[in-house]
Amino acid sequence: MDLERLGKHPRLFFLGLGLLAILLPWLPMGGSTNYVLRILTTAVLYMILALGLNIVPGFTGLLDLGYVGFYGIGAYTSGLLAIHYDMSMWLILPLAALNGALWGTLLGAPTLRLTGDYFAIVAFGFSELVVLVIRNDLWLTRGPMGLPGISPPSIFGHPLTRDWEFFYLILILLLIVLVVVTRLQDSRVGRAWFAIREDEIAAQCSGVNLIRYKVTAFAISASIGAMAGAFYAKWFKFIHPDMFKFWESILILCLIVFGGMGSIAGTMLGALILIPLSEVLRAVLPQGLFSARYLIYGLVLVLTMRWRPEGLIPFERAQARKAWLAKERLKI
Amino acid sequence: MVNGITLGGVYALIAVGYTMVYGVIQLINFAHGEIYMLGAFLAYSMVTVLGLPFLAAFILTILICSGFGIILDFIAYRPLRKAPRLAALITAIGMSIFLQNLGMMIWGSQIKSYPRDVLPEIFSKTAWNVGDVTLSWLQIFMLVITIVSMAILHLVIHRTRIGTAMRAVSQDKTTSALMGIGVNRVISFTFAVGSAMGGMAGILVGLYYNAIFPTMGYIAGIKAFAAAVLGGIGSVPGAMLGGGVLGIAEVIGAGYISSEYRDGISYAVMIAVILFKPAGLIGRQIGEKA
Repeated sequence: MDLERLGKHPRLFFLGLGLLAILLPWLPMGGSTNYVLRILTTAVLYMILALGLNIVPGFTGLLDLGYVGFYGIGAYTSGLLAIHYDMSMWLILPLAALNGALWGTLLGAPTLRLTGDYFAIVAFGFSELVVLVIRNDLWLTRGPMGLPGISPPSIFGHPLTRDWEFFYLILILLLIVLVVVTRLQDSRVGRAWFAIREDEIAAQCSGVNLIRYKVTAFAISASIGAMAGAFYAKWFKFIHPDMFKFWESILILCLIVFGGMGSIAGTMLGALILIPLSEVLRAVLPQGLFSARYLIYGLVLVLTMRWRPEGLIPFERAQARKAWLAKERLKI
Repeated sequence: MVNGITLGGVYALIAVGYTMVYGVIQLINFAHGEIYMLGAFLAYSMVTVLGLPFLAAFILTILICSGFGIILDFIAYRPLRKAPRLAALITAIGMSIFLQNLGMMIWGSQIKSYPRDVLPEIFSKTAWNVGDVTLSWLQIFMLVITIVSMAILHLVIHRTRIGTAMRAVSQDKTTSALMGIGVNRVISFTFAVGSAMGGMAGILVGLYYNAIFPTMGYIAGIKAFAAAVLGGIGSVPGAMLGGGVLGIAEVIGAGYISSEYRDGISYAVMIAVILFKPAGLIGRQIGEKA
């Protein structure tokens, strides 16, 4: 299949997409340029989120249902720092990422000893607690009133307000995250993660410190999520506890499952397809049914797992494993 | 306190469904909370649209729910029996989201309540009034139903052939199959019983709070799961105990600490239990690769 070839040569494909993205704001699209740009900014934002989440279930093989908690932590870190200290975005992004990593470590260190399912549930409980705290601790977060009036980011004193400026900004962020994630994937740490995913006991026997690598994966994933949240707060200029509900975790999980869990190219493609799809649905569906779009995400999860568990662009090693298993079967 | 016990009984009913399924196929059936929601809404539709008497609707709903559990297993989980556990877990989440939104499409997202006039009158009357403690007939009804169904469940698991088969499958699927147990049939049965309990709990809670809504399954499901974990997942008496403890903890916590963090208390209890006593209060230790 074509997509499988794409999985082997993602570079060319994404180089093309990247070029297209850079040219995009200048293409003649009539009056809809800004609309398209906003949708694509959202899509790229979710690409970053998905790349971050992918590290835990995709690379390390642990289901993380609490990812959106870190997204929320990042967004509120960014919003509060911007409002109370009038901090620059370039300081906020790393600080938010750091805060995400801190919470990721705090949560991960004790809970990652647990077996997979329990861990998923604890992470879920954590993200719900984050939302509860945001909603109820009015002195800090203004609770359900949300946090309005976050100042826009600026470069050399020039405030970013236009859609294409944000689009380029998030493309740069994506590039950074992409470099980090691909380098991690090919590093010693990445190999340890894959070993854990394939077989924890075998990995441990080969000298992989399970807890250390799991916590590392979790913290890095959390920091990417928090950074995306920080960008989101600066972009949207308003944040509200309801934006960080469990649904978002599911949506992001859906992106990576659909695109191909563990595969960086697949993860990005999943976001690129499903997020604009949601916008199309917003235009097509009547107002009342719009919330039912999650129905489609649920179906996507179920159907992908049923008929194409490796996703659109399968992870290379998954293919290798499949081939190996087929050979083994022949022997027997 | 009485409220806590009633609530706990309902959590226990839902928790039993989680724990049984987990015991048999080691899967957290996230869609279980949605069956509970469907139960509440099916009964509502039967009472309002079809005009059935309440008891008939109650029984019919339970039957439909158990059928639904079997179908759920058949279409969603059975094809993945040999797949990695992560795949089944993701499918379960997908089913849960799907069903929840399906409910929203069918019944709308508004909160609905059972019309007073179709319910047996006795429910709204007070049975006892001892000091500050009021006990309504509805609460008694709930408690009795919970206790009776738990007792029946206990008998089924420990005294019947299918119960013995269930226990065997939960210990070792392959060996059970070798002993001539139809493993898939047992799993279907487990789903049926668990879903029946879940649907029943849905109706009871709908009556108790006088409010049903499509997302009710999500929070209740999580709390029931917390109860199941608290008691020790895979253990049926554990689920009962966990449900009771959680219900009481929640009511007391909401009363004395803060009612805004009512849901938070369950999560906190759950996280604490998973961290410090992952096998639960009376569960057996689960090996790393069971």
